[in-house]
Amino acid sequence: MNLFTIPLRNIRRRPSKTLLLLLVFSLGVMSIVALYQVSLVVGYSLEKKLTTFGANIVISPATEKLSVSYGGFHLGDMVFDVQDLPEAKTSQAIRSIELQDRISAVAPKLVSMTKIGETSIALVGVRWPEERGIKSYWAANGTFPEKPDEILVGSEAASKLGMQVGDVLNIYGKDFSVSGILFETGSDDDSVILMELGMLQTLIDRPDATSFIEVAALCAGCPIEDIVAQISTKLPNTAVKALQNVINQRMTSVRFVQKLALSISLVILITAAAMVGLSMLSAVNERKKDIGILRSLGFGKSQVFLIFCLEAGLIGALSGVIGYVAGFGASFKALEFLEMAEGASPVFSVGHLFLASAAFALITVISAVYPAWKGASVEPTTALVAL
Amino acid sequence: MKEIKMLSAHNISKNYHTDGTIVPVLKDISIDISEGEFVSIVGRSGSGKTTLLNVLSTLVRPDSGELRYQDENLALFPEKRLNRLRQSDFAVIFQFHHLLPYLSVLENTLLPFMNSFKPVSKQREQEARACLERVGLADKADRLPGNLSGGEQQRVAIARALVKSSRVLFADEPTGSLDKETGRQIMDLLLELHREGLTVVMVTHEPSYASLAERTIGIEDGVVVQ
Repeated sequence: MNLFTIPLRNIRRRPSKTLLLLLVFSLGVMSIVALYQVSLVVGYSLEKKLTTFGANIVISPATEKLSVSYGGFHLGDMVFDVQDLPEAKTSQAIRSIELQDRISAVAPKLVSMTKIGETSIALVGVRWPEERGIKSYWAANGTFPEKPDEILVGSEAASKLGMQVGDVLNIYGKDFSVSGILFETGSDDDSVILMELGMLQTLIDRPDATSFIEVAALCAGCPIEDIVAQISTKLPNTAVKALQNVINQRMTSVRFVQKLALSISLVILITAAAMVGLSMLSAVNERKKDIGILRSLGFGKSQVFLIFCLEAGLIGALSGVIGYVAGFGASFKALEFLEMAEGASPVFSVGHLFLASAAFALITVISAVYPAWKGASVEPTTALVAL
Repeated sequence: MKEIKMLSAHNISKNYHTDGTIVPVLKDISIDISEGEFVSIVGRSGSGKTTLLNVLSTLVRPDSGELRYQDENLALFPEKRLNRLRQSDFAVIFQFHHLLPYLSVLENTLLPFMNSFKPVSKQREQEARACLERVGLADKADRLPGNLSGGEQQRVAIARALVKSSRVLFADEPTGSLDKETGRQIMDLLLELHREGLTVVMVTHEPSYASLAERTIGIEDGVVVQ
């Protein structure tokens, strides 16, 4: 028996009223938790989908650049000491960073210049599954290469070389069949010939070599700078650059979903808090007699204030637990309804459960501050007159 | 040497404000109550006797005048000290019992000690059970007030006053809502406590009960008449 007994017993006195209040606030908490979980999963899922529209980190060998001018004429920049990136070692290093779970795709590339007839053209060796994974927007006339001796030609390159699907092209003494011609993308891919990376490495005798590696990373929940820093640490002699414009565009979409969920949560939270406040205000008016008795027995204002706050806090804490568990379950149903249940799912955390319970207890206490203060301010005489 | 009174009220006035009108309830009242005395306050409805009791028990602050407890001016007491006084020295029982309906009889008896997170000690609990036994309610300690009769509820309120070893018991029409037999039992209990040294100040409109007190103070229109 102590001060805590008073609000505890009062909550039990009116089970239907307490249950109704608990139900309303639990529903509020449930909606907020479900929205939060859904926004996290949808954000993650959305970002994962957005990674198929291009990489957001580029890793290239560290190079030395020299601006050459002579006699007042600028002769251009000279890049020297260019080294290849070893494909296996670099890819493994990228996949072994601390934030490896944020790495969605690693797409290595080897670039080589050649001449087809009189036309100079760039050959780009790629790993098809990885490349198509980050370039889901690619569409081609014909099919994408499935065999090592098949190539994909960019639209501009095909027009320059007069190539058609099914044509055979001799590159470095080996015949390649044009399996497809890429529709115009507006990128550098339009003017190159793409082939299997391993084949190009063999043709130009640079086994395991890559010119640069594109990485698609998920940025929600951690800054891209952290991923870049971790890759840089693993790969000291490379230049690791984040494509900020791509990242910003993606994060705008992801953040929109999260901000929308946050805004709705806030509205629900304010409504639920207002309900708790109103309920406590009516409880104060109903319980003037109790206040009078307590004050006549020597209970101070602070103790009466505490009784009302504890009562609200108890309801908040209990609603937090019920709402969190219910919200967690509801988030699965919501994701199923949104057809986003695959790929990622909400993660139950006991720590979050306690945190939610404490947070909602605090919110209800804050909502009850004014009614509790009002109750505590009632003079014993006023309370007694109410009898 | 001047005798120090248990409770002294000097020139107490109290007005109530109703619809913009000032209604004087107590007009310049002065009374002294000695330690161990049994005083009854009598008067018609609306005469101001309950307001006087509320002023004496510190539940209502007078508009003017001085209230002294053991020669200390209560107007100078800070809120916390007044609370302590109500918690220990003063006990009030009302016509309509004033128990918290959601607490058991035992918890209501121990209510004055439930004002902090420190649990009520086992010793206090035993004392409360002893007080309930004294008022004949030992077997109903775990019941809720709603399951008790009016007289039993009043006895719980008295047990509550006993457990905190109050020095002054203020009783506002303690028999007002009870039948004659139960009223008589409550009066017997109050007289017994008075004989043990408790100071009792009782408001009543029952002349037969008022006559059981050592002294009767009559109030009419906010003024002491006898």
